[in-house]
Amino acid sequence: MIETVYVEEEIIDHAITKRVLKSFPRAVTIEISRYQEIFNKRHQNFRLQKRNPALILAKKHGNFVLPVPSGFGMDAQKNFYFSHMYNCIYDCRYCFLQGMYSSAHNVLFVNYDDFFKSISDTIDTHQGCSLTFFSGYDCDSLAFEKISGFATHALDFFNKHPSVELELRTKSVVTSTLMKRDPVKNCIVAFSLSPQNIASVLDNKAPSIARRTKALKQLARAGWLIGLRFDPLIYCANWENMYSELIADIMDDLDSSSLHSVSYGPLRFPKQMYKKIASLHPDDRLFSFPMDRKAGIISYGAEIEKLMSKHIQTELNKYTLTSKIFRCTV
Amino acid sequence: MERRTINDSLVEVDSHFCWVIALRSEANPVIDTFSMKRLPSAALFPVYINPGNGHTLVISGIGSAKSAAAATYLKALLQIKSYAAWINIGIAGYYKEPIGQLYQALRVLNPENGRAAFPGLGFSKIVPGTTLLTVSKQEENFSAQVLYDMEASGFCELAPLFSCNELTYVFKVVSDTPHTAASLITNKVVTGLIEKNIETISKLVDAIEALLKEEKKRLLIPREILEVMENTHFTVSNRNKLKQVYRKWRTVFPGRSLHEASDPKTSAKEFIMKLEQDLLDATKVWTLT
Repeated sequence: MIETVYVEEEIIDHAITKRVLKSFPRAVTIEISRYQEIFNKRHQNFRLQKRNPALILAKKHGNFVLPVPSGFGMDAQKNFYFSHMYNCIYDCRYCFLQGMYSSAHNVLFVNYDDFFKSISDTIDTHQGCSLTFFSGYDCDSLAFEKISGFATHALDFFNKHPSVELELRTKSVVTSTLMKRDPVKNCIVAFSLSPQNIASVLDNKAPSIARRTKALKQLARAGWLIGLRFDPLIYCANWENMYSELIADIMDDLDSSSLHSVSYGPLRFPKQMYKKIASLHPDDRLFSFPMDRKAGIISYGAEIEKLMSKHIQTELNKYTLTSKIFRCTV
Repeated sequence: MERRTINDSLVEVDSHFCWVIALRSEANPVIDTFSMKRLPSAALFPVYINPGNGHTLVISGIGSAKSAAAATYLKALLQIKSYAAWINIGIAGYYKEPIGQLYQALRVLNPENGRAAFPGLGFSKIVPGTTLLTVSKQEENFSAQVLYDMEASGFCELAPLFSCNELTYVFKVVSDTPHTAASLITNKVVTGLIEKNIETISKLVDAIEALLKEEKKRLLIPREILEVMENTHFTVSNRNKLKQVYRKWRTVFPGRSLHEASDPKTSAKEFIMKLEQDLLDATKVWTLT
């Protein structure tokens, strides 16, 4: 439960601010000037902050929509992402956010309309291109939905822009927002998945794989387009069987027409990011693996990556078309 | 023969709770509760210590600069480790009653440079949190709905550099309000205000201890690897490499003896390679727990 909420003075009377604050009646509310006063400052300790992160309500002033790093998207001509939140309520051991920020506080930008205005402008300037907008790059798209209500606003917006796609990427099973409305045909609900034996160790505070699988099948049956994201692929003893079983469990009674895409990607970090994350968890076996270092990238190495990619591709080909399968390289 | 001073032996003490307090009357209840004794060798500021429980305390005197200076003095004098918690506690003015209410300062404002500090994690289940403004002279108007003190901003400028922001804490007890004149506050009253909250302060210490234990575990270099580095010549670069590979090796082989790994006697480079090879061999049956 969030105990402290920091609120920028400028948005203290914003409707979203008021609604969010109502969700935390017992929290201490502290007014601040700008979120940068407290977020991502030097000498902060991500690991300790993660034990009891505060919520920061802020206004974003620019860079609402950004192009995704190359190798991240699917087959759209142009891929963009937007981040209405920084950080995530889950605590996945491999999460790159730990290496990106020194703060574990959750920042929620309440000026949703400015995001949609910017998305709208981006659509206008790319007329004729197939576009995908990714939510959930710097946060989980649905995990905070009960509080933020952002996805509801996003779905309303993208419902009116059927020519472009929205991807909501999540580990959450809070799908009631989606289930209570008609499917938005240009929205992909993409679930991040790992074998349960791996997720139970690494995906701290996130729902179990069984619950995620149940949620995604429920959404598929209700007519939503589903994305499966096996990213990052985690290496350990018996990984072949674990991933084969996971894929079989998911595909078992999943209507193929509801499957929009499947992507997978190796565990990879830029060198400095890996160093920072590993220093937060020096006794974690994930970071005890003798990783390969090449061209500033830390990974399991080409041999393991190749083995895992080949196996995942082979397993996925049993159930779906190659054209729906993508390998992420970011 | 090497002559050891009292300070030489004290730096080996694991002082991990560092109190920085302006007045002796504020400090006395803390000194008593954690059974600290005066350190006679500390000349610049009065310092108290209990080597048994890791508590140490410096009396800074009034003012932001003195608070920062005293914290720095304590850090240097006892070579406080980077996993230590730094706590500033004392009395403060507030815009409203009740007198004697303890608060955690979650935002500390310095009107002189306009900067804000956000020390610690919120402990709202134990103590309410609020904003604090550090002023250079005693506040009489209470125009803002904040706590007023004279030390915290200086303390917050430096203490996070010694460990981290999440191990830096400011707690204040309300001593005067618009309805209660500051002139009525005697040393006895001050001591009474802190004493009244000592049970809550002890709960806060327990909560902070859980954090610093985690940080200590993360940062501490185990004795066994220090011994290896003492007994074998390592370059600076190899020392750093060894610390990294050792930590991984120890995680993967918690029950294995490091002496076995270093036997027969090998060079620094060979020793590191041996640990790396052990890790590579383990990848064939790698587990995550």
